[in-house]
Amino acid sequence: MQRGYWIKSKPNYNTLSWRENTLGHMLIAQGEGGLALVKLLQQRCPVQPLKVLFSGEKYTDILNGFIPEGIDVFASDEEMLCELKSQLSECLMGTQFYVAGDEAFIWKVMDELAVYGVQERDVEKELCGTIARSVYCVHCKTIDKNVHHNIHLCSYCNRYLFVRDHFSRRLGAYMGVMVDAEVPGDIPARQEIYP
Amino acid sequence: MTTLTVKVADVEQVTDVVKHFTLVPENGELLPHFSGGSHIIVSLNINGRIHRNAYSLMGSTTEVDSYHISVRKQENSRGGSIYMHEEVKPGSILEVTYPVNLFAINKMARRHVLVAGGIGITPFMSQISDLNRLGYDYELHYAYRSNEHAAFREQLEEMCGDKVYFHVDSEGSQLDLKVLLSHQLLGTHVYICGPDSMVKALHLTAKDLGWPENHVHSEQFSAPPMGDEFKVKLVESDIELVVPSDMSLLEAIEGAGVDAPFLCRGGACGRCELEVVECDGQLQHNDHYLSDAEKLAGNKVMPCVSRARCSQLSLKL
Repeated sequence: MQRGYWIKSKPNYNTLSWRENTLGHMLIAQGEGGLALVKLLQQRCPVQPLKVLFSGEKYTDILNGFIPEGIDVFASDEEMLCELKSQLSECLMGTQFYVAGDEAFIWKVMDELAVYGVQERDVEKELCGTIARSVYCVHCKTIDKNVHHNIHLCSYCNRYLFVRDHFSRRLGAYMGVMVDAEVPGDIPARQEIYP
Repeated sequence: MTTLTVKVADVEQVTDVVKHFTLVPENGELLPHFSGGSHIIVSLNINGRIHRNAYSLMGSTTEVDSYHISVRKQENSRGGSIYMHEEVKPGSILEVTYPVNLFAINKMARRHVLVAGGIGITPFMSQISDLNRLGYDYELHYAYRSNEHAAFREQLEEMCGDKVYFHVDSEGSQLDLKVLLSHQLLGTHVYICGPDSMVKALHLTAKDLGWPENHVHSEQFSAPPMGDEFKVKLVESDIELVVPSDMSLLEAIEGAGVDAPFLCRGGACGRCELEVVECDGQLQHNDHYLSDAEKLAGNKVMPCVSRARCSQLSLKL
């Protein structure tokens, strides 16, 4: 990739940190995102009401130790997103949101928050565990998850796709474009660049 | 700017200090459609000097055979509202701009909380007509000093039913903004129009409680602040002029015959932004549009409300 190349749609993620002005906090994490929550809670456990939704096994004991009222633990991301949906309908304006997990997960949560007009800049987001990408094939509209390589074979249409940095927040996926459209069969070497 | 010529069809004294004007098109045709929260700018020729005041459209957004505005008489003002109260009568002809909306409801919102202080009720009258028509969830809080200032109370009770709450200062039932903003469901938007102190208090309270900025909307129409007289040079049109202490920079530019752009005339929209070429003193920014950094940099100015304390200001116009 050319130095200095940057595409505006590629999201930035940070380390979770507390937002001061608030009526309450809602922490939503998955898998290795649990560690991000532990780091956050080790900084300080805020005085305002705190809700934690976590899908995963690792870190649950440590997290429970921080919060006397307990955390909600789920066996799968899907179950947690379902619970999130129902809790959001009763949430108040002024709640601050913190999301940690893999990229696809972060944007699934953002999708639920967007229903209530919560914008990207108003949510703390930390990318955890893997930087594997979800890739959206622009030719057949298939989304393949957990892509680690720069060149990806589309699971539906069998085209070799170049994984671009062009990111769709709505789909939570990067754009994949046929890499040998101009010279059929001319496929660059595959490299694992999204560990 | 293209204007409409309207005739005053009716003037109604609403309270001691508020008059309601019904404006109809001079040619008998329909007026342009508008959305709730829109305003028009009325041009008034007072002793040869053009005053341009913004007034919210209050009527139903579905009826455009007439426009409705209400004017509060401001005793310490530059004369626009006093002129409207004392000189404008049924049959008077006025020049008004096409409606502009800088205070529209957000249609993606889950709920709308409207907060009005005094004459700040006017933009909500047309917004409520939109909210009712669309069946959106809302509540209106109307704060005023005492019962003789309760403009449009009966009309609001009829329009809003149990969605309206009145807060009367003299009866001690003050509106507690913190309580109001602490129990709103996620996805609510709040809108405020009223005195400066009230608008600022709501913005601060919302920020303290963690409301994101884009869920808080406000509108204020106030006369441009006065200041010292200063000289202006318009570099591109090669015109020199003087801004008297009781005239805004924009008004002085217009007075010199230059057709400068504008929309809100309240320092909110940014339409009138001008580039500063040189200033041998200090710019006095009174707008809500430029960021603090831009104000500090001093190479832009909003002539509708801002001025300068200097002997000469050069502008690219």
